[in-house]
Amino acid sequence: MIPAAVGYHRATSLEDALEALAEPDAKALAGGQSLIPVLKLRIARPSLLVDLGGLELRSIERDGDELRIGALATWKDLTSSLELDSSGLAGLADCASSIGDLQVRNRGTIGGSLAHADPASDMPAMLLALGARVETRSPDGERSLSVSELLVGPFTTALGERELITAVVLPVPPPGSGSGYASVEHPASGFPLAGAGALGRPDGTKAVAITGVGARPQLVPESGSLDDVEVYGDRFAPESYRRHLAGVVAARALEIAQVRSEGRR
Amino acid sequence: MSESLIGVARPRIDAPDKVTGATRYAADGYVHGLLHARLVLSTEAHARIRGVEKDAALQLDGVVAVLTAADLPVVKSGTDRAAEPLARDEVVFAGQPVALVVAESEAAAEDGVEAVVVDYEPLPAVVDLEAAMTPGAPPARLSAEEAGGDLESIHAGVDKGEDDAEEEQLSANVLDSVTRGSGDVAAALEASDAVVSGTFRTPWTYQAYIEPQVSTAWLEPNGTLVVSTSTQGSFVTQNELFRAFGLDFDKIRVIAEPLGGAFGGKFALVEPLAAGAALALRRPVRVALTRTEDFQATNPASAQITELRIGGRKDGTLTGIEARMLVDRGSNAGWGVEGITSLLVAGPYRWEAFDLRGYGIQTNRFTFGAYRAPGAPTAAFALESLVDELAEELGVDPLELRLKNALVEGDTAVSGNPVPTFGAVEVLERIREHPLWARRDSLPEGEGLGLAAGYWPGGNEPAAAVCRVDSDGILTVITSAADMSGVNSGFQVIAAEAFGMPPDRVRVVTTDTASGPYAGASGGSKVTYTVGAAVLKAAEAAREKLLAAASQELEIAPDDLEVVEGVVRAKGAPDRSITVAELSRKALRFGGRYEPIEGHGGSAQTRGAPSVAAHLSHVRVDRETGEVELLRHVIAQDVGRALNPALVEGQMRGGATQGIGWALFEELAHDEDGRLLTGSFLDYAIPVAERVPPIDTLIVEVPAPDGPFGAKGIGEAPVVAAPAAVVNAVAAATGVRMRRLPMTPPRVWAALTGTEEPS
Ligand SMILES: Cc1cc2nc3c(=O)[nH]c(=O)nc-3n(C[C@H](O)[C@H](O)[C@H](O)COP(=O)(O)OP(=O)(O)OC[C@H]3O[C@@H](n4cnc5c(N)ncnc54)[C@H](O)[C@@H]3O)c2cc1C
Repeated sequence: MIPAAVGYHRATSLEDALEALAEPDAKALAGGQSLIPVLKLRIARPSLLVDLGGLELRSIERDGDELRIGALATWKDLTSSLELDSSGLAGLADCASSIGDLQVRNRGTIGGSLAHADPASDMPAMLLALGARVETRSPDGERSLSVSELLVGPFTTALGERELITAVVLPVPPPGSGSGYASVEHPASGFPLAGAGALGRPDGTKAVAITGVGARPQLVPESGSLDDVEVYGDRFAPESYRRHLAGVVAARALEIAQVRSEGRR
Repeated sequence: MSESLIGVARPRIDAPDKVTGATRYAADGYVHGLLHARLVLSTEAHARIRGVEKDAALQLDGVVAVLTAADLPVVKSGTDRAAEPLARDEVVFAGQPVALVVAESEAAAEDGVEAVVVDYEPLPAVVDLEAAMTPGAPPARLSAEEAGGDLESIHAGVDKGEDDAEEEQLSANVLDSVTRGSGDVAAALEASDAVVSGTFRTPWTYQAYIEPQVSTAWLEPNGTLVVSTSTQGSFVTQNELFRAFGLDFDKIRVIAEPLGGAFGGKFALVEPLAAGAALALRRPVRVALTRTEDFQATNPASAQITELRIGGRKDGTLTGIEARMLVDRGSNAGWGVEGITSLLVAGPYRWEAFDLRGYGIQTNRFTFGAYRAPGAPTAAFALESLVDELAEELGVDPLELRLKNALVEGDTAVSGNPVPTFGAVEVLERIREHPLWARRDSLPEGEGLGLAAGYWPGGNEPAAAVCRVDSDGILTVITSAADMSGVNSGFQVIAAEAFGMPPDRVRVVTTDTASGPYAGASGGSKVTYTVGAAVLKAAEAAREKLLAAASQELEIAPDDLEVVEGVVRAKGAPDRSITVAELSRKALRFGGRYEPIEGHGGSAQTRGAPSVAAHLSHVRVDRETGEVELLRHVIAQDVGRALNPALVEGQMRGGATQGIGWALFEELAHDEDGRLLTGSFLDYAIPVAERVPPIDTLIVEVPAPDGPFGAKGIGEAPVVAAPAAVVNAVAAATGVRMRRLPMTPPRVWAALTGTEEPS
């Protein structure tokens, strides 16, 4: 519970951060809500922490028919952003508000969560359902990945060693759409045993994705069948229960989305 | 006459310091030249230690020493945690302290811990409780025979029935078995109109105090070992250290610092480590466990398996009860809860015949320790589940069934002793009057109400206290009882009432073993009942001194004087008066004429003062997910006399809340090799504020004849039947009877769907 000694650098710009990350075993630090616990347990022992906290990557903005969320936007920013105050984007705020407690939401960032790639994290399911993409910067330049391209497996991403997430970008759902997030949480950690994000469009099309049940978040196929979805069991929640739960939260998220969608009304 | 001070709600006297951060806990004290120790914990549940490689750690900056068992000056034999603060040759649970790294900073000590390499030769780990007791099971400890020492005491006090059935074949892991019997149970059950039975499982459960265990030890220049610590008992700790290290008794001084919670878990567990290191290195050493270490290395409540069968007749009479209770002691060879749990499983009821057996079994899991009402929640979970089922089978109202069989004063308990003043009937009647009970058959689909009752017998231990008036005119109460759950605030009002002082002119001081009057550990629901009784006598003795002085000063006979709100005055002539402050100033000065206004009081309670509580729990069960939501909880408890209702209600709420934890959340689980799987609050769930429903507290007062102003110990009773009430509520909501705690969503769902239950 006491971290090993580690260096600290507060980045002054994105370029400066990327340069600092050239040091072997350097690691970016955003809200620290995943990284600091891992340091305390000495599971990670970076040589240097490159604090992104001073970078201007925190805004949440509408850009035409896109929503752009800065990588350093916190869960609290998402729950209080007026940009999300529409039925089509309401699921993002639902999801953010179900994460951790207020202290965690005040510090934890969307970019840090995606980069950490905890298979039990909430937000990836919502982002997957909304068709979000992730923008990154590295010394090699910029690129854009889908959420499923980014999240390769448990705690594993497609990010390069010196590649930082700069923003999450998603298409604003057409007017009359509704989105929602539902989960059943582990009573201790508050992480989802199964979580689902759903989007319903006024034309009746929909997208549902689930998280917490397998190695990475997964889109539920059009048919709605969860038979092919990968589900892990553990001591607390065996596979059969988790698979059942995935169906329950998927249905609940979709219900919320459809109630919010004008197409339904 | 002024109003009685008893029964008035007031804030705890320690509250302002605690909420403003002014309290200094055991980890906060500044000690010059302090070293920090961190623990190397066993990664094996059962193994021989072949060797400990210290060199790499000793090379690190700031590391002062790496200590193993051989380095500590322990003189005591045996296997208890004071005799064996660090494992000698054999580790018997994963998380057992094997070595101490002592360094100039906590971080350096932690670096050292990482660098220590322990070479283990793994032995079979005994993790399954039932398998552990069957003949031929591998032993959970090889060195038991050689250790000797305490083993003798295990068998002392074992209360075997006379008509003991033929010897059971049991493995050597069964350290103790207790049998209590009376009448012919088989015949009683045979003659019953209904018999119900079940097997009930509860897991290892963590006390989850806010403040992890911490102790600091140093040597005074004259060789006195001083231990400043977070403990429930200073004298108990002094005794343990005396036996462990063989120092002169007066060369050990133990200071009980303000407690950040204990719940039964803080009894000389880390003190021998800090003291041993300080003695070995002759420098001050602090051992402050991190939460992770506290989870692994301390002494949680036993896992238990209870097989229970009870019967009853259509007229609502309980007939026979038969229990076989397996108690997992982990590595604790010294004691277990098999005795108390197999006593309490009979509940607050009369039985025509009983056969109650308890077995204390060693395994390679933890060291068992006390936790609020040890053995009682498990016993009540089993019994109260079956009482509800029996009521249903017999077609009798579950509350009336309990009422009809409730023990009353003068009955004979299964212990063979007469039941003292007992409030079972009264608390059940209070629940019957609660509006929620009337709604039990008209709740919406998916909701249910559960009733359960349980008691805690309370404990006794002689105790003493001092009351004196200082020169500022304030009455100072001095005891050595660790201030747990607000006992000092109880002493304040007892002394104030007995002496005739406003409570805000009474202060309470907790002293150390070098100077304080004797008090046992704070636990067993005995502090207010025993130390409180001593405080009462001490205050009365001080009042006599006061009246003697006042009598001379006012030239009025003591019998004609009264003390009201800090003023001594003539009865019927209140203007002839003198304040306590003035008298004390006259006494406490050079050339003064009066004895100091100071009294000593002692108590040696012999009669028990059990406290009973009945609970009503209202739940909603989500059949799709198995989640149980608590909507409301009601507790009615006989508290004897509520000295300070605010504190009493706090205990009732806290106990009910911890019971809710037993019911729904808490479980220390191991893998099959005996390694802890739930060693952090990310995995080990407790009832956090958002999951605790509104709790109605109904105070019932059936005064204890020997208690101060009728008060009895109330800290443990409120947890006892709380889990059972939630279990019964879930059954009422779903029709499903859960036999394993906690009732996690996956388990409830499995029970609802008839699929296999997660272990
Ligand atoms: C008590 C508690 C409860 C929680 N409950 C939940 C929950 O219910 N659901 C849930 O989903 N999560 C939960 N979390 C995790 C939380 O959401 C974290 O905020 C999130 O996982 C990490 O975000 P961060 O900004 O704190 O990242 P950090 O901890 O600072 O970093 C995490 C990782 O991401 C890397 N990183 C950070 N920013 C970037 C970037 N811009 N580009 C590339 N790499 C980056 C870091 O190097 C590090 O490896 C909880 C956390 C805590 C402490």
